[in-house]
Amino acid sequence: MSTPRALAGAPTFASNWLGFWVLAEKTLRAKFIYRLSLLISLIANALGYVVFFLVWSEVYRGGGGGALSSERLFPYLVTAFVVNFALSLNVEVRFGQRLRQGLITSDLLRPLGFMPFQLAQAVGDAAGNLVLVLPVLGLAMLEFGGALLPGDLIAFGASLLSVGLGLLVNFGISYLVVQATFVTSSFYGVYFTRVALHQVFSGVSAPLVLFPPALRAGAEWMPFRHVVETPVRIWLGHAPLREVPVLLAEQAAWALGTLALSVALFRVALSRHQVQGG
Amino acid sequence: MTAAVRVEALCKHYQRRKRGEGFWGGLKSYFAFETESVTAVDRLSFTIERGESVGFIGENGAGKSTTLKMLTGILVPSSGQAQTLGLDPWRERKKLALNIGVVFGQKPQLLWDIPAGESFKLLKAMYRIPDDVYRFTFDETVARLDVERLLKTPVRLLSLGERMRCDLAASLLHAPAVAFLDEPTIGMDVLVKERVRELLIEMRRRFGTTVVLTTHDLKDISTTCERLLVLDQGRLLYDGDLQGFQRKFARERSVLVDVVSEPDAEKRATLERSLGELEATSVWETPRRLRVTCARAGSAPRVTSLLLSQLEVEDLSLAGTEIETLVAELYRGEGRAP
Repeated sequence: MSTPRALAGAPTFASNWLGFWVLAEKTLRAKFIYRLSLLISLIANALGYVVFFLVWSEVYRGGGGGALSSERLFPYLVTAFVVNFALSLNVEVRFGQRLRQGLITSDLLRPLGFMPFQLAQAVGDAAGNLVLVLPVLGLAMLEFGGALLPGDLIAFGASLLSVGLGLLVNFGISYLVVQATFVTSSFYGVYFTRVALHQVFSGVSAPLVLFPPALRAGAEWMPFRHVVETPVRIWLGHAPLREVPVLLAEQAAWALGTLALSVALFRVALSRHQVQGG
Repeated sequence: MTAAVRVEALCKHYQRRKRGEGFWGGLKSYFAFETESVTAVDRLSFTIERGESVGFIGENGAGKSTTLKMLTGILVPSSGQAQTLGLDPWRERKKLALNIGVVFGQKPQLLWDIPAGESFKLLKAMYRIPDDVYRFTFDETVARLDVERLLKTPVRLLSLGERMRCDLAASLLHAPAVAFLDEPTIGMDVLVKERVRELLIEMRRRFGTTVVLTTHDLKDISTTCERLLVLDQGRLLYDGDLQGFQRKFARERSVLVDVVSEPDAEKRATLERSLGELEATSVWETPRRLRVTCARAGSAPRVTSLLLSQLEVEDLSLAGTEIETLVAELYRGEGRAP
């Protein structure tokens, strides 16, 4: 202990797993600090969802949309709400604010690496959201019972994997989108654009099967559906078993693609970034 | 062993966007991009050996923080070479991060919403700090900076000085080989500043930590650093020890004398003539206080003995060689080479 630490090897994701999980846990903890704000946003979300649910009930009162029966639609909507809520990450806001205030300097100096540092916080966000949304799932179980549960253990395991990949896809999209902040200086424009696209094309507002064919075809080429629709379809058994590996592979490809591209863009952006003065 | 820091012809240029004044000026800027080039760091070259403690000083905008950001891998140099602990800071930032501690005075490093103590635990995990090292650094920093009572308070509720203490403690927990401290004593009171200085000295003694310090409080430097780097408009104006700095820039020394009784006119005239022969000028600031300015280097001792022999001296002090005074003169442009 009489000399400074010797130069350690470059930290890797695997070697730094402890730091990663501790950061995720601290982020989870921070989420529950502002109790009143949390309560208000929970009530607002719940009210919004009740209205949303009533609208769909009205639409399906006379027999519904044709492509999806009401027995399949309502469990879908509940599960989509739960998955979407759990996977709502704070990446753009956190990153954008820190970039604007020059605080990313601190994050850059962490041996965890910048992207894993952001991802750990996203995992903490998701864990906190999951805790908050579990009561909704419980209440929905009272109404829909077994219709909300996966058909078998394989579907259960595959859907858990799919939710994990959905988190990575959502993180990848957000992390990619927020790179534009280096050019725009403010994250609001890109953030609201991403949220709008997500609301439409992830399948949280309406199942994509109800979309007009052209819009549905467009959604097929975007990653958003892999955040909500894909995990929900696997969970509820709406996706045929032979389709599941393909869906998981597509999710993994989108996750890797968006992350790789955003890391490359981040490197270029950072090399031109100006953190001027003290 | 590689040097702690090696810098060669290091440059950093920025493009800064110019915006028009007022609403119409702002609107015009939407369509007409006008930029200006700013040179923050201009061909800097120096080496800092391991275990050294070096103070960086310079006016606002002199390039101190930019240099530190390049040495820590946050900024990419426009040209030139920089190495910290033998690593390219930009390309090997993650590896370097394990071995350096950094404080940027105005940029909090601890998680904002949770207590500082929780952030310390996070840093222990993230930096993989061995238990024995953590025990020592935690106890040492917590005790010396008196932050124990702050550890359970969320960082956002701390005052600037309290937060800086926690930030500094956090940056030293992993016993870094090099500590880059950019204004680490900002917002601290005199007593705490003293404790910070003691802590830095102890970290150097215990771990051989190299300290690179920028500050506007020159007492930080005079008590903890043996070497000074003075930056001016991105260039290195001086690199050497504190005594050398004093010798180089102390052009004038003042001798301030308080006398027991007011001398008569004849005595004053005689004294003025004698001082003139030593190229010193005098001014009676009050009937009993005389200020003598010595223009010639090395003449202060002779002037002092002259004053002691001709006046009934009550008190005497030498001024003009304190680092603070010299640096202030330098900032005013009085000490710069033509």
